[in-house]
Amino acid sequence: MADAEDVTANPVNEPLDLVRLSLNEIVFVKLRGDRELQGRLHAYDSHCNLVLGEVEETIYVIDEDDEEETVRVRKQNYDGVSKARRIS
Amino acid sequence: MSFFGFDTNLPRDRPQQGNPRGFFESRQDPFAGLSRDAADEGEVLDFEDTYDGLGDKLEEQGDAFNDDTFGGGPSVGKDFDFSGQTAQARDTLLEEQALHYARQPLARGPAIQSSRPARSGYESYAKPEYIPQLEANASLWGLPPKKTPEPASMQSQAPAASRKMMSLEEVEASMRQQRQSGPPPGMPQPARPAQDIGFPPAGPPPQNLPFTGTPQILQRPQSQHLEQPAVPQSQRQPSPHQPVQPMAQQPIQILQNPNLHSAQVPPQPSQGPPQQPAAFAHGRGPSYSGPPVTQAQQLMQMSESERNAFLAEEAKRAKRNHKIFLLSKNNGLMTPQDKNFITRIQLQQLLTATGNVEDQGPDAQLAEDFYYQVYAQIRGAPRQNPNQPLNAFAQTYLFQTGGRYGNGRRHPRGGDNHIQRMEQQVQRAVEAAKARPKNKQLSMEGSLGKIAFSNSKTPRPLLNFKNARPHSSHGAKPVSVADRKATLRDIENVYTTLMKLEDHERHMPPPLNDDSDPVAVQHHMEWRKDLHELNQQLWGHLKVMEPIQPNPTKPHPFIAILSHGKGKKAIPRIFRHIDDQQRVTILTIIAIHLDILDVIRLAYPNPDEPILPRAVRDEVELFSQAVMPSLFTYVNDAPLNIVSGLLGLVLDRVNVQAIIRTKVGVSILTMLISRAELIKQSCGGNVNPDDWTQWTQLYNRLFDLSEPVLPYIFSVESVITSDDVHVWQFLAAMGVGASPEQQQRLVLGVKDRVMETVGVSKTLPPDMANRKLGEVNLFMRAIGLDVELLG
Repeated sequence: MADAEDVTANPVNEPLDLVRLSLNEIVFVKLRGDRELQGRLHAYDSHCNLVLGEVEETIYVIDEDDEEETVRVRKQNYDGVSKARRIS
Repeated sequence: MSFFGFDTNLPRDRPQQGNPRGFFESRQDPFAGLSRDAADEGEVLDFEDTYDGLGDKLEEQGDAFNDDTFGGGPSVGKDFDFSGQTAQARDTLLEEQALHYARQPLARGPAIQSSRPARSGYESYAKPEYIPQLEANASLWGLPPKKTPEPASMQSQAPAASRKMMSLEEVEASMRQQRQSGPPPGMPQPARPAQDIGFPPAGPPPQNLPFTGTPQILQRPQSQHLEQPAVPQSQRQPSPHQPVQPMAQQPIQILQNPNLHSAQVPPQPSQGPPQQPAAFAHGRGPSYSGPPVTQAQQLMQMSESERNAFLAEEAKRAKRNHKIFLLSKNNGLMTPQDKNFITRIQLQQLLTATGNVEDQGPDAQLAEDFYYQVYAQIRGAPRQNPNQPLNAFAQTYLFQTGGRYGNGRRHPRGGDNHIQRMEQQVQRAVEAAKARPKNKQLSMEGSLGKIAFSNSKTPRPLLNFKNARPHSSHGAKPVSVADRKATLRDIENVYTTLMKLEDHERHMPPPLNDDSDPVAVQHHMEWRKDLHELNQQLWGHLKVMEPIQPNPTKPHPFIAILSHGKGKKAIPRIFRHIDDQQRVTILTIIAIHLDILDVIRLAYPNPDEPILPRAVRDEVELFSQAVMPSLFTYVNDAPLNIVSGLLGLVLDRVNVQAIIRTKVGVSILTMLISRAELIKQSCGGNVNPDDWTQWTQLYNRLFDLSEPVLPYIFSVESVITSDDVHVWQFLAAMGVGASPEQQQRLVLGVKDRVMETVGVSKTLPPDMANRKLGEVNLFMRAIGLDVELLG
């Protein structure tokens, strides 16, 4: 509420406000550890903790068999709302 | 007033008795400890501290029935038994007291509450020698109260009791002791089943239920009976026939219904009272030896069968009591004070959650339950004045329990409701059409029908497959990133303004009346000015008034806003804050751009892929839930010329044959047609004939446009799985207004689907079949037919 009061004509005043534009939209989140999320953004905070819904998580795993490295992709679906932390 | 014959002298003035506070001991005086420390003797009780204010509520004139209430004869005397007599009135007393406590915080306000420290129930523990409360409760369970060994001479108790207060039962016991030092009065009374011992009879001699001393809100009324088991115990022990161990008998009365019990008891003179104190007083005095003998005699006097029955019953009872005992093991864990304490905490929480915010202004109230406030605002809960938190609290419950639909017509309804209403509207139109005299319709509609038939401006298209595909050049281009970002920005702006507006609305000053002072008027004016500014701001952010380009390279900004889920969700909130002119503008913009609305553009049925992608389905659903109700609410009150205008715009600017194949498109058309029908029926003659002519022309154009695609407006899915309610509604709405000739064309267009549905429904389970047939019937009835005729 208070935040909304302060924002004047332009809703984007600082970099993080760009995230605000993506509220309720499908967002693509790249996490460390070769993981990616794709889901609907419900909420975020100043630490960039995210609350996502209908998330699809993609994990890239490197198999090191036979000296030949292959990238295996694992996908998981989360239908409910989930929280993501630690983006960097 | 001394109802109970109490000695109302202050303790220091009281000569003989060493137990100064008697009845009021339980109402602990929080400061008593202090004063006692200071002045050991002649403790001064400040009346104001102990007085609970009940007396103020007494009617001094209302003494006429005191005798009836308290059973007092002409002379009350000192041999009162508080618990016996008053127990009968006790429920009322408790009720009154509870009421009194309940009212108190409201009446006195928080300030007084704080100055008058609430009893926590633990004050007693501040007294170093505190035990008595627990002890008293222990006796509730029939455990022999472990008292500090008292000298048998209760008469001279004062010195021995030292500082310890006597409980009420002790006082009564001692007083009765004094009275009974003679022969025990009229004790043995046979002809009374032993198991009823100890229950307070309705009869005159007051008796045996020592008042437990702490009237509390939560105290169960039965607790007064708890003391009784001590009596049976002592009485039964001598009886050889009793197989049950005394412990099991203790809670005898706990769960028994007193009323039931007293109904069984024949009127009996007191037997208990003399014994009861004796049981407490540990075999002091002559009164103790009496009762068991009586019991035995009683038993002996019974006949064999009676005795057997009695014993069997007794065993059963004992078994049951044992069970109860096991269940009620933990019953005494909390003292009444504890319970009271917890109740008070809960009450206080309740109050802070609702009531007390009154003092802190609307902001605190908002902070307390923000989401409820916003919800109520959006739902349009009747909230006369923002400064009525208690009322709001009450409304929470009213709101939940009923009257959900009575909240004023202007407010958006829920999605289901909206669909229901749509259906109702169509149905009403259908019914009204049926009620209409037939020949009037024939004469009027017939001629118009001819006009439509020979309309050369809109020839019947013979091929329509090209038109069924959306024009790719018409706003269907992929949206660039920059545009998307701009749209998202617009949406955030809208929401920001919306929140400001809603907040502003919460600060609405109280409504003006004739004698408002100038300051209030000034305040009101300013508020209105701000409101207007915010409204303009919101209107600007909505970008509705952006020029409509004839050949747009990108969708209109407002339509772009609508293409996002959050943009759709904002519509009901926006509609609350804008005036009718703005609403109709929005409606116009939507009507013009119907075919580039995402919910239509992306939702064209595709034979290769009968089921729409989930994302699209969700958006369509959301549009029907969020946007349609707002539009519908507006159209529902709109005059004919606006409805005509909208339909005209749709026909002129939009490819009707395309949009008619989507759910949203068909819904919007239905909305317009059915409203026009309703106007026609409700105020047939009052409308400007020109408007009618215009409408009829539009209707005919629509009819001619839609006729060729009639077979294709149903969803591509199979009859069984499809959900075509909106299509049947549309057909019904069309059918109501159609001329007989048009009706025939209508039937021809959808005949296959009707027959198919009827055929399929025969193989479906009854409820599903009924639903399908009901949908079809919606249309059939509109043109004066019924599926029954087809069967």
